Amino acid sequence: MSGTKAVIQTIGLTREYPMGNITLKALRGVELVVHQGDFIALMGASGSGKSTLLSLIGLLDRATAGKYFLEDVEVSSLTRDELAAIRGRRIGFVFQNFNLLPRFSAWENVALPLAYRKGEFTTDEQHKRAMDSLSRVGLAARAGHQPMELSGGERQRVAIARALVTQPAVILADEPTGNLDSATGNEIMNLLDELHAEGKTIVMVTHDASIARHASRICIMRDGILTEGEAVHVAA
Amino acid sequence: MSLLDLLRTSWRGALANKLRAILTMLGIIIGVASVIAMLALGNGARAAVEARFRSLGANQVQISEAMSFNDGQIEQAGEILSYEDGLLMSEGAELVDHVDMSIGASGKARFGRATLDIQISGVTANAPENLATAGQVQPVGWPEGVAFTMNDLLADGRFFTPAEVLEKAPVCVIGWQTAIDLFGGDDPIGQTIRVNRSRCEVIGLITELESVDESERYRSDPNSVLFMPISTVIDMFYEEEPSVEITAYVTDESRMDEAKSQIKEYLRTRHKIEPDADGEYIDDFNLTTRKDILGAQQEAANTFSLLLAAMATVSLIVGGIGIMNVMLVSVTERTREVGVRMAVGARSLDIILQFLLEAILISVGGGLIGVVMGILSIPVAASLNQGMALLEPASIPLALAVSIIVGVLFGIYPALRAARLDPIEALRYE
Repeated sequence: MSGTKAVIQTIGLTREYPMGNITLKALRGVELVVHQGDFIALMGASGSGKSTLLSLIGLLDRATAGKYFLEDVEVSSLTRDELAAIRGRRIGFVFQNFNLLPRFSAWENVALPLAYRKGEFTTDEQHKRAMDSLSRVGLAARAGHQPMELSGGERQRVAIARALVTQPAVILADEPTGNLDSATGNEIMNLLDELHAEGKTIVMVTHDASIARHASRICIMRDGILTEGEAVHVAA
Repeated sequence: MSLLDLLRTSWRGALANKLRAILTMLGIIIGVASVIAMLALGNGARAAVEARFRSLGANQVQISEAMSFNDGQIEQAGEILSYEDGLLMSEGAELVDHVDMSIGASGKARFGRATLDIQISGVTANAPENLATAGQVQPVGWPEGVAFTMNDLLADGRFFTPAEVLEKAPVCVIGWQTAIDLFGGDDPIGQTIRVNRSRCEVIGLITELESVDESERYRSDPNSVLFMPISTVIDMFYEEEPSVEITAYVTDESRMDEAKSQIKEYLRTRHKIEPDADGEYIDDFNLTTRKDILGAQQEAANTFSLLLAAMATVSLIVGGIGIMNVMLVSVTERTREVGVRMAVGARSLDIILQFLLEAILISVGGGLIGVVMGILSIPVAASLNQGMALLEPASIPLALAVSIIVGVLFGIYPALRAARLDPIEALRYE
């Protein structure tokens, strides 16, 4: 754990879903602090609330109660569009199923977050930044290909390049190797390790202990409550 | 997202399923094409009617007998419109400068051995002038758009004078074909012919004429004519006082309504028409001005337009519902795409605009194809409508504007639905 400033801080974060007569309590007061440069693995059984927590951290969802500071900004009172703007600038998502747009080339997929920042980037600038980001994940040569023409590993690299292109405060990865074979999964984890080594902040959800060992900190979710696991370091 | 990026995104979305896009456009294509074609029909009909009534000058009042139905028979409503009614009109109605009267009769014309069955026009002295200004006939080969006077109409001789009309002079002016039929190649001027046994001197020859409107040329021959003073014709052919057609020329175009009431009053006095119990006059004559005709035409055109608007509305609504349907399917199919876009920073408005633009692209695409189809169908429509179809230029921007409106109207709901998706559920959508 680095002693630098907190990128993410949650206080008593609670998320409840009304399900008919009963209320499902997915998160029951989660306290989580993520510092700059942290690589955190969120573990837990399915239904433990780890995905709910990741959605809240990623501003895709709102807490029922509690406070969430992202880079010292309390976000629970922001509007839907304000949240979207912060997502586009400060958060990079990596999904299990890649979530690339079909019929759009790799570089266009990577440039997508820039395209939504109205008037900030010309098409040329978008292309240049997307190419820089693709180079970082070693896919510059495949920039013109559409997702259908790429392998699973390549697709996930494109997705990581998209997460990197805005230089976000934190990269949120949801089971990033879940749809990949183990060799390809290892390549992706090596890439995440490299990014961590470069100082990027990463929060990753996984149920796979061998994947979680890449993280610098492991947090375990159980019935909506977060407990700190042991810090493990595995050499890349 | 910049408008260009948005357009590009929506364009790809619309083209992602080309067959579906084309099929969706079909309703709009048919709607817009039929609007273009039908407006062209209306426009063509209007142009044709206007050309036909151009002969009635703005300062003229056409006076005709009123007809009434009685036991299924059309009969005269009251007194006839007599030669004398016309003769004295300019004295009785202050605003009437002069009148023009005509009557028709059919008879035989004979010269030497040549005999001819012929339509005889009894007219007043200003008839050739009217012929020149009516714009329905012209000397053969006359250059288009150049005006001509009554002198251009006379090949030889002269027309009869007002004095000759008053004194029932036995004179006539003949048409080009009539001259050929009666005299072969000889000079007709000064010759005496017989019209139904009465002697009549040929004092003028009208040059060879043709209809200005080419499509009219095969129907009527303006050269087989024989003009005589109206008084002479009445004297020669009618035992009782006949009805004549009267056209009154008003001194001041801006006072047509006033002139009409003067003529009304004059004729009511002459025909001794009294108001009935309700104070209403039941006239035995009709007065028509160009304004009346155009007004009636306008009314007919408006009714027609209303019908067209109703048809266009139905086909465009059907087309719009098709677009809404496809856009709803498209939003559902691309739920995950919407989730991804939201995750990387798309705001509600970005999503709304993307899908709205896609709907507009489909409807405007359909509109453009519809405009082309509509224009291509005009010759077909014209052939079904006696050549009366003319592209209404305003219908093109109108059609495109309507396409945009249809796209917005029917695209907004699917777009709003896309924008309201929950990003988490959208990302999980399979």
